[in-house]
Amino acid sequence: MKLSEMKADRTGTVKSLGRDERFLKRITSVGLTEGARFQVVKNDRKMPVLVYARETLLALNRRDCDMIEVAEVEA
Amino acid sequence: MNCIALLGQPNSGKSTVFNQLTGSRQHVGNWPGKTVEKSEGTYSYNNKKYTVVDLPGSYGLSGNSDEEIITEQFIKSGQADLVCVLVDASQLERSMYMLADFASMDVPSILILNMMDVATSQGKKIDDKLISERLGIPVLPFTAADGKGFDGLKSLIAGELKTPHKLVTESMTDANAKYAWINSILEGAASTSEKTYTISGFDRIMLKPFWGKVMTILIILVGFLAAMLIMSPFMSVAGMLPQVLGAPIAGFLNGLNVHPWLVSVFSLLIPNTFYFCISMSAFVFGVNVVFGFLEEIGFLARAAYQFDGALSKLGLQGKAVAPILMGMGCTIGGASGTRVMDNWGQKMLTMMVVWAVPCASIWSIIPVISGMFFPAWGTALVCIGIILYIFVLMFIVSRVFGGKLVPESTRSGMIMELPPYHKAHWKYIIKEAWIKCFDMFKRALKTVTLVSIIFWAFSFSPSGNVESSLLYKVGTFIEPVTRIFGMGWRTFMAFITAAFAKEAVLGTLNAVFAGQSNVADVAFNAATGGVDTSALSQMMTQTISGAEALAFMFACTFSVPCLMALSTTYKESHSLKWTAKTAGFYILAALILSCIVYHIALPFLG
Repeated sequence: MKLSEMKADRTGTVKSLGRDERFLKRITSVGLTEGARFQVVKNDRKMPVLVYARETLLALNRRDCDMIEVAEVEA
Repeated sequence: MNCIALLGQPNSGKSTVFNQLTGSRQHVGNWPGKTVEKSEGTYSYNNKKYTVVDLPGSYGLSGNSDEEIITEQFIKSGQADLVCVLVDASQLERSMYMLADFASMDVPSILILNMMDVATSQGKKIDDKLISERLGIPVLPFTAADGKGFDGLKSLIAGELKTPHKLVTESMTDANAKYAWINSILEGAASTSEKTYTISGFDRIMLKPFWGKVMTILIILVGFLAAMLIMSPFMSVAGMLPQVLGAPIAGFLNGLNVHPWLVSVFSLLIPNTFYFCISMSAFVFGVNVVFGFLEEIGFLARAAYQFDGALSKLGLQGKAVAPILMGMGCTIGGASGTRVMDNWGQKMLTMMVVWAVPCASIWSIIPVISGMFFPAWGTALVCIGIILYIFVLMFIVSRVFGGKLVPESTRSGMIMELPPYHKAHWKYIIKEAWIKCFDMFKRALKTVTLVSIIFWAFSFSPSGNVESSLLYKVGTFIEPVTRIFGMGWRTFMAFITAAFAKEAVLGTLNAVFAGQSNVADVAFNAATGGVDTSALSQMMTQTISGAEALAFMFACTFSVPCLMALSTTYKESHSLKWTAKTAGFYILAALILSCIVYHIALPFLG
């Protein structure tokens, strides 16, 4: 599923970050890598998605979150 | 030569360390052939001089942007004798990524664990000795913003320049390997925080889609009130200058039988220029203190989260919200606030958008002029019209320039960390605001003096009648052209002054409509608040139509904000071409707007 579709308070792992080279470099520099575990903190309509990963709370643009494939895991 | 480079992600507090180390001994220029800013500074320690280079803000060294390429090349070139890598101690794992990227460079380095105060307040324990042992370079726990510990840093740097250390690493191929390496370094050396995150306290409101926006706007409004409070003592003292100095200087010079021109320059022009520069700098100071505070406690990051969606439509991203909000107070503050943007294109586009936001000074003149021509409800409509047009103009700007400045291929959505709320370091905030304010004062004194002299020369009339001033002659000569845009020579002259300083608009109107008295006297006295609005109202309503007044108000509001905004835009963009483009666009757009408004309003307000 896409990161933008994941509900708040669920935990997941990143499956793929998409193909855009620039985006890939940028997002890994803040801690979201393929395989990384994260928690969706907030995901409201039309708002950036709030993700908690590697001790950091990140706000990610909604459109970018459509490119990120994730898998939910049991907390 | 002792050259030290500072490397770190934008939120690692790198610029704080740079500013605290070098104070005002800074030189800002461009990296050769690029619009990327090059900040260099110096400091002395034990009678030795050190040069500090603040490497452009980047998230890694992967060649993702001009900033990253420059940073990488600079380090590889070996020009720096020592690289200080800065990381955020409160988010160690993520922010060590920069160090992992840097690890492949074979240069002497030290690691600074900045924001230790935040880490400690979160209950985090960091064993810097163990980390240092594993990395092979010195590790310094640090809190840059409180200004203590800089002696320790300087002595460490001095020691490392004599006996340098380099990182001990294995080669890391991809991002996951880098994080694995980071984890192996931190294992047992740093306690990690909770695995799950719960939204707490103030964020329960601040992160709500609707109430968060309401709160943001409320807090910004309170912030502007606070800014006014901060600057009002400076402004009122400065406001007394023209009155206190004017008459005695005039009396003294008249007693010496000096030419009236010189009397006017010394008793009128110079005290007023000082007053103007001081009050403008006070404005910049107030706005910077408030926004410095809001940034440091973590509020502006929440505001960016709230408005990312709206700003994406302009080709910008959430981070642009802070400069745009600052622009509501002062365009100069807004333009210098664009430093937070990720790259030059976004920064330039944000500055252009900030220009569309009317500053506080505009709101002090529009109701006055509107009130002369229209009833209260009419004035309300004028204000609403102006507010609505802000959005139209922002949209036009983003359509016209967005494609060039932020091409689709380089557009990046917001990727921003929301830092935990933390206490502000007031001393640092005030020091920073003071440096900005003083820099502004110096620049203002030069430019404003020059422009004041030009304006004074234009408006000085030897006979004391407006018709013998240069202003009148030039104005009436070009009137056939300005009429096309709906403005007569009087309003057009005030329109030109508006591009220099909004504060001078009422003074100019007073001067050109009064006609009989000495134009220069009237214009400059009015700048210090001595406009008799009821008299001006009578003169204006008799001379020009409501349609012309309306066209003038719109043109004035959406033209070049002021001379110092122009100068600051150049200073921040380092591009004469784009500064000129911005000014040209705004003047043209204001004239077209004036023309449209005039012709639509004419049948109703003839």
